[in-house]
Amino acid sequence: MEKIILPELGEGVEEAVITTWHVTEGKTVQKGSDLVELATDKATFNVPSPVSGVIKKIMRQEGETVKVGDALAEIE
Amino acid sequence: MATNIESLRMPPWLKKKLPDMRAVKELNVYLKSHSIQTVCNNSRCPNMGECFEAGNVSFLILGATCTRNCLFCAISCGRPERPNPAEAESIAGAVYSLRLPYVVVTSVTRDDLADGGSAHYADVVKSIKKYSSTTIVETLIPDFDGITKNIDAIIAAGANVVSHNMETVRRLYSAVRPSFDYSRSLKILRYLSSKEAVEVKSGFMVGLGETTEERIELIRDIRNTGCGILTIGQYLRPKGSPLDVKEYVKPDEFLFLKEEASKLGFRSVASGPFVRSSYRAFEYFEERK
Repeated sequence: MEKIILPELGEGVEEAVITTWHVTEGKTVQKGSDLVELATDKATFNVPSPVSGVIKKIMRQEGETVKVGDALAEIE
Repeated sequence: MATNIESLRMPPWLKKKLPDMRAVKELNVYLKSHSIQTVCNNSRCPNMGECFEAGNVSFLILGATCTRNCLFCAISCGRPERPNPAEAESIAGAVYSLRLPYVVVTSVTRDDLADGGSAHYADVVKSIKKYSSTTIVETLIPDFDGITKNIDAIIAAGANVVSHNMETVRRLYSAVRPSFDYSRSLKILRYLSSKEAVEVKSGFMVGLGETTEERIELIRDIRNTGCGILTIGQYLRPKGSPLDVKEYVKPDEFLFLKEEASKLGFRSVASGPFVRSSYRAFEYFEERK
């Protein structure tokens, strides 16, 4: 099991809002494919999957503000 | 905390690749240890990752507090600190150590200083040139209240490119840039263009509620000063600013504006959603050669 962590999005950018999940629980994803879209005040970013696997759990929902380092999902 | 997602969703053309934070961190550790500020950091520029990776840095001199309160800008307004007398040497040292072939030097507006900070600007340019004689220096200057001798000092110091941004169309000056004056800013571009020694550059934002006709009028006004280099980018609201994005301008319109500007005789036009005043300034400079 591996946790998907919110990476740093820029210097001084500590948080972002989840705008879209591209995957649902149970879905198989490839390494590098887009998992989730986040918005800061200056841009939107897609977070790619660090590994191939199955999404076990989505831990934070669309509309939630998340901080750098927060776990967003679990993948196995 | 739940937020209204629709208001935060940006159109697909404002999507960025995750920045390479290693390059950013590495450079910032160096800059911080030398008390050097960048407009990249202070304005939370979304291009920082790709720029720092490519060695594009825009130094912010004369402190991090501005005496003018423009609503589009993320830099705070208030009573500025005293200019750091060691700044010119620090920046020159950084340019030399990092072997930067092209740098941008910009500042906050310093209405509190008798010369608007012009002598300090000149010192920074001279120091950079002293240690890195082949480095191209672009200065992005405030309006110095229209006092031309302050501009002369910067040109005399050896700046290669001098930039002064128009920022927005005439009608929106009072709402967006209340302490600036449209005609005064155009006059500065005209004055700069009368000087053989420098390339003259300007830029503006779109998405503040202006029409295409107003954009074209602004492009024409800038061109009529003799200015030959132009940047056009999407306005994005700094956190806490009451100035909303009125429109996410489509890539097509950026292309159209670029074509119109080229038709009017600009030698170099950077136009696109993520274009900022000094975005890929070196690449565009190389292109013009």
